[in-house]
Amino acid sequence: MKLVRPYPKQLPNVVQFHCSMEMTKFDIKNYLEKIYNIPIVDVRTNIKVGKFRKDYGKGYIVKDDDIKCAYIVLPKDMTFKYPDLFEGLKKEDEESMKSLDEAKKSFNDYLEKNKERTDVPSWFSI
Amino acid sequence: MEFFDTKKNWSETNIRVGRSWKLDELRIKSNVDLHKLWYVLLKERNMLYTMEHECNEQTRLFPNPERIDKVQESMNNIETVIRERNIAYYKLETGETGERPVEDVLNLFGLPEKYNKQEYYIPQFMNSRWVRPYLEHGYINSLAVKKFYRLYKEKQYNEVRKARNRDFNHVQQLLKRFPNMDMEKLKAEYPNVDIEKAKRTKKARGHYMPLY
Repeated sequence: MKLVRPYPKQLPNVVQFHCSMEMTKFDIKNYLEKIYNIPIVDVRTNIKVGKFRKDYGKGYIVKDDDIKCAYIVLPKDMTFKYPDLFEGLKKEDEESMKSLDEAKKSFNDYLEKNKERTDVPSWFSI
Repeated sequence: MEFFDTKKNWSETNIRVGRSWKLDELRIKSNVDLHKLWYVLLKERNMLYTMEHECNEQTRLFPNPERIDKVQESMNNIETVIRERNIAYYKLETGETGERPVEDVLNLFGLPEKYNKQEYYIPQFMNSRWVRPYLEHGYINSLAVKKFYRLYKEKQYNEVRKARNRDFNHVQQLLKRFPNMDMEKLKAEYPNVDIEKAKRTKKARGHYMPLY
């Protein structure tokens, strides 16, 4: 059973789960109430049918797994917002992109500098 | 919600964890402890599944995916320990293992199969839909199944035959190239080959005059 980012957009007191195909609504309700102590007003489920697609490179048809989605309705006063898990990593990404841009720029400068003397080795310079 | 990792680990790229629980460590635990540990592991696994799903959605690398395998292995070990205890208890009390009984049956293709018995609300002979393929003119006695079974047997026989011929030919070639080799070792390597017969064949004779 896993908690997933709600799609399509849900009300603030609705939480979306992917769970095992065998679980019924009662199973889901008991599971979350007993193991996770989450108060539950209502449970709705639907089964998302996996896509039929051609296998990349092989060409035969494969079917993706079906998924049982559970929409848990919390009491009115409770809200749930799916957290942004990768906020800390975004800064690192920006920094790495910056250093990559710098490397690209320095390489372009080097190409520009040696445009007129393509037969001279790179170490032969001041 | 306990479905997410601790906030400290969200921006981590390498999360170090210990090993999974071993069978011997779990055997010395009480049933109550195992029950509690099971739910700890179950929550941990759900958390890891959630994080992995979100990482895949956001096209990020999921740090240390072997954590899922470790938790799963621990859970499997708990299950085997509980099963051992259950079998021991049932053998003591009733003389049976208490496991689900397994029966050797023929499936609809006429092939032998293991079948885990389970409960039904009516017995087999009353279940007219189930019994239909097993009747005299049912599917299991049809020409199609018989033909399939014949061809299947033929295929299996051919595999054995080809292996036999392949070994015999190989031994002949070996005898041709190495006439003075250790016959006992050859016999041990290819126990199904009649080596005396292989020696006499034309293929086993080399392109040279006999020494004596």
